[in-house]
Amino acid sequence: MPTNQRDFLTAAVTAAGVTATNDLVHAQDHSHQAVPSDVALRVKSLESLLVEKGLVDPAALDALVDVFEHKVGPRNGARVVARAWVDPAYKQRLLRGGTAAVAELGYSGWQTDDLQVVENTPKVHNLIVCTLCSCYPWAVLGLPPVWYKSAPYRSRAVIDPRGVLRELGTELPDDVEVRVWDSTAEQRYMVLPERPAGTETLSEEALAVLVTRDAMIGVANVMSPPSGGRG
Amino acid sequence: MNGIHDMGGMHGVGPIQYEKNEPVYHAEWESRVDAMTAAVRGKVPGGLRQGIEQLLAADYLRMSYYERWYESLVWRLISAKVATRAEIESGRSAEPKAASTNAYSAAEAVALLSLNRSERRDISLAARFQVGQQVRARNINPVGHTRLPRYARGRLGIVDQLRGVFPIPDAGAGGRPQNLYSIRFSARELWGEQLAPQDAVYIDMWDDYLEPA
Repeated sequence: MPTNQRDFLTAAVTAAGVTATNDLVHAQDHSHQAVPSDVALRVKSLESLLVEKGLVDPAALDALVDVFEHKVGPRNGARVVARAWVDPAYKQRLLRGGTAAVAELGYSGWQTDDLQVVENTPKVHNLIVCTLCSCYPWAVLGLPPVWYKSAPYRSRAVIDPRGVLRELGTELPDDVEVRVWDSTAEQRYMVLPERPAGTETLSEEALAVLVTRDAMIGVANVMSPPSGGRG
Repeated sequence: MNGIHDMGGMHGVGPIQYEKNEPVYHAEWESRVDAMTAAVRGKVPGGLRQGIEQLLAADYLRMSYYERWYESLVWRLISAKVATRAEIESGRSAEPKAASTNAYSAAEAVALLSLNRSERRDISLAARFQVGQQVRARNINPVGHTRLPRYARGRLGIVDQLRGVFPIPDAGAGGRPQNLYSIRFSARELWGEQLAPQDAVYIDMWDDYLEPA
């Protein structure tokens, strides 16, 4: 850390060529934990340095952020789940080899290079966690939410999965087997939730709308549509 | 290492802070740190996690997720002598601007992450353990990086799947390829009698983490 914070901030602002106010306020507004107010400036400063050293192209950063914000995400995983619900042969391929099966729908890379899809049934409920860090199948679920990456979930998912689900609004019956998948290696996981009752007439597209990120992590079930409406 | 990052089973870290309709990033700087980390892949030695594991436990807990990533990237740049602390603090290179860029273009950066690039090695190594076999997770406490979580060490499990051959990421192992297994640990073996008898935790483990039981 710099010995003189004020000098450092001044230098960082100069180097980054920005006025600091907006990002500073932004960072403070959204800090979930105690984020120092100068972090936005330090990051701008680091980007300037890496660009100057020829290590990073700002256009590449823009492109990567665009993928993380707009191309990957749980809508992709929801399409996979809906396809598995309506196509038994696809479901078998999905459970046998997640990576190849999601590639059939156009999703590859982005942390799904070794993907196992685990199926919820009336007797088995699966839950995904990364106790050591934040491993997550980006291509189908996007970047993980903050709570997934934070100490309370990472610590408790393995020792008290039923309590975690209860806290997030889902009570599991006593006779259900809970399987927690701790993503400690390069293997990534996604839950294939149970298809809810009353959806027999829904189209694949309408089913996909019901599927939530939380259901594919395993901290929720997919709910029946409110009106049992038609797809 | 027995670091603060190895959180499975800890108590006292508070309730889950669930946010409805959470945005992908909470501030622009988070997206830039995320993208920079992805964009220097293969260009700066060391890994994200090794860098995070350099943080003191108190700092780890105080920092937000992407602040840890920032600190990890800074540590890697300094350790690899790609940049000095003074350069990082000033945001200015001490050397003349590079004549040509070594950076990935936008297309290259996206392609790098879009391609399937499994770490799986297409070689055959005799598996020491078979599906259904009882094994014990070794009681090891290495000071460097490992993926064997503390809560499983010394515990009995059952081999559920053979995953194939993958490089072991532990410090000092040099990425040596080994068989990787999915091991099923009963919740009671890990945590005691208060857990439901049918519940289980599955952990991916390399050969070096396991011994016959």
